[in-house]
Amino acid sequence: MRWFGFGFNAFGQICVHNELSKDEGRDTVSDVKIMNPTELHRNVDKSVCGRNKCLKTSQIRASWSRRVWLHVDGDSCVCLAGFGGTSVVDSSGCTDTVLSETHLTLAFSDRIESWDLQKKEKTPAWSMEIQPPTDTSGPPLSLPLVPGGYIATKPPFYRSLSPHLKAKSLALGAEHAILLSATGAVYTWGLGSHGQLGHGGLTSEEEPRAVEALWGMPMKHVVTGGWHCACISDGADLYIWGWNESGQLGLPSQSLRKGHKEESSQQAADCQSASINPGGKPLEGEKDKEVFISIQAFPALLDISPSCEIRTVSCGSRHTAAVTATGDLYTWGWGEYGQLGHKNLISTDEPQCVDFFKEQKLYVVDVVCGPWNTFTAVGEEEVKLS
Amino acid sequence: MAVLWSKLSAVLPPNEEEFPLQFSDKVESSVVSVLQQSRRQLYSDATSTDRTLTAQIILDLSWEKLNTGTWRDVDKEWRRVYSYGCLFKVAALCREHPSADEILQGIRTCDMGLLMGAAIMDNVLQVLVQILQEEVRKSTKEEEKRLKTERPRVPVIKDEQAVPRIKCPSLESFKSDYLLPLRPVILEATADHWPAFNEHPWSVEYLRSVAGCRTVPVEVGSRYTDEEWSQTLLTVNEFIDQYVLNRVSASSLTVGYLAQHQLFDQIPELKEDIRIPDYCCLGDGDEDDITVNQNFLVQVVGSKYIRLYSPEDTDKLYPHQSSLLHNTSQVEVENPDTERFPEFARAPYLECVLQPGDVLFIPVQHWHYIRSLELSFSVSFWWS
Repeated sequence: MRWFGFGFNAFGQICVHNELSKDEGRDTVSDVKIMNPTELHRNVDKSVCGRNKCLKTSQIRASWSRRVWLHVDGDSCVCLAGFGGTSVVDSSGCTDTVLSETHLTLAFSDRIESWDLQKKEKTPAWSMEIQPPTDTSGPPLSLPLVPGGYIATKPPFYRSLSPHLKAKSLALGAEHAILLSATGAVYTWGLGSHGQLGHGGLTSEEEPRAVEALWGMPMKHVVTGGWHCACISDGADLYIWGWNESGQLGLPSQSLRKGHKEESSQQAADCQSASINPGGKPLEGEKDKEVFISIQAFPALLDISPSCEIRTVSCGSRHTAAVTATGDLYTWGWGEYGQLGHKNLISTDEPQCVDFFKEQKLYVVDVVCGPWNTFTAVGEEEVKLS
Repeated sequence: MAVLWSKLSAVLPPNEEEFPLQFSDKVESSVVSVLQQSRRQLYSDATSTDRTLTAQIILDLSWEKLNTGTWRDVDKEWRRVYSYGCLFKVAALCREHPSADEILQGIRTCDMGLLMGAAIMDNVLQVLVQILQEEVRKSTKEEEKRLKTERPRVPVIKDEQAVPRIKCPSLESFKSDYLLPLRPVILEATADHWPAFNEHPWSVEYLRSVAGCRTVPVEVGSRYTDEEWSQTLLTVNEFIDQYVLNRVSASSLTVGYLAQHQLFDQIPELKEDIRIPDYCCLGDGDEDDITVNQNFLVQVVGSKYIRLYSPEDTDKLYPHQSSLLHNTSQVEVENPDTERFPEFARAPYLECVLQPGDVLFIPVQHWHYIRSLELSFSVSFWWS
């Protein structure tokens, strides 16, 4: 499995730039904003992790300033890159990882460990033992889910979850969370200020609350962004909700269009003005009576044209990326660091195919977003039925 | 324009070592490293592109933190980081022969830091913006031809419901007759000595000349309970053009309101035109929570119709249930729906038309309804 990255690279988390220029404080734009999908080098430190083979399974997670690459292949190997340099973490037997700006969490068959990335300590900041699963019927829980609860991004690390939720997968944003139950139901909780909980308003929720608008439609995958959520139904449809100030919902964004108009006459504003619409109903645009949406407080079905089945989706702070069943990658939302992969720094509220992969005849199988960048896995092209 | 940079750098620390960058643990070390990079670039010969890029990273990240959660929960450290981002960006913009447009952008950037950030380095952004403003020469010959001149629906004030008016009461009598019993009153001739009525009479032209290129928050829409209500950031010139002079057609149907804002902290020249009413000294000084404060509303230009209801009659005023709007009534005061809000007609009130020079005392927690009758400037004093 080969991985490509694009977007924010100020810390070399996608590819390391010339060491010399870094010291003198010289950061050219092209070093910091990677606009073209760039292949990640597998061999970080050949002596410790000298793998040349194309691995079947590997996993990437990204925080704002770092990226972690887990190679699962017999003796697993965790390679960290970005702020603080590249390093290989002692991690044989590691099956899963989660990366935040402050902690790296590793899952093993018998324990979970969280390492504080800001301190150079020899032991994890926190750890807990887990029982290997007694029933091997279902797939193992993936982080941040652990038996009985989940691991949060800041202390207290372990948080319990009610067993009646039957948590199957969980995604954590900075201030909100989305949970998928074994029945395909979706629950959200946390901050609701930008409609990111999908309950139709702006109020926050302390406890998991079912997203009623999706009731009756089983979902199979849930993800969070900075202020939005997305999920894929069993029928491979994509639903999305939350804040749309950069077009991250793929719906018409007024602040985005205004920002583009200002750019053509003068430099872009630092801070986009946001019009808040608590009712979740669209605002009238000024000229063409086009309907704009700044907050989508209920899930909306997003058709990525041409209509196609969605295989997986991931969200950054203010952008979204989706992989179709036909091996294409679509991205939309905030693009000022190149995180959309369209070879420019333009944000867009319309999902667009990342042509690079088509041009290179690469078949996209997975996508993982960091806050301001995107990592894409390509694999063997599946046999296409015509 | 190198002269401009020498003025700007004179208010900055002379070298990297004396430039403070201290943050609590809340700000991760990766973020601090970018701030340190900006500081390095400030004192080295980095390119303008690189300086701008680093500053923008700081701004983009701290902007995200400022937009996480409710405003009052945002950690002050992130607001400081945002201010540093603005500082580094202004330094990058105005270093090498900035164009007039770049200077305006610099002013806007300072304003963003003043509006959204927290004071850093002895409020250096305030100092920088004054320097930049001096560089900007604006012609003040704009005409005020298209001021709204029609006077819609001036209500007739019934004597038995009028807010009483008195001229310059003593502190003692104001305290015993109005402050302690929490009774509204209009103090006449109390603000007559303000420069805003004398040496610098406030007007649209005056506001433009003093603050035209400054960025301020504006509320758009007649009522903040309307669906179309929104907030935006405009320069004072844009606000005047779009909402006062109705020069921009799309805005001619909507109302813009420069409100709820510490304008006098941001634009100290205007502060010099006003005076704090003496009666404010009768308070004991705790200002943090606006909801437990008394208020003086001073009318400077134009007139406003105002109606006041006592907190004792809250049960007849049908406040909204939601936490965001629980201090707002659901009733349309001058056109109440008597079926939905039957008790409203029985709520006693006092009313007035506030004219230039009038100072209205609004006792703590009194419900207030305000409609501008024409172009209007007022100054509000919160005290306790």
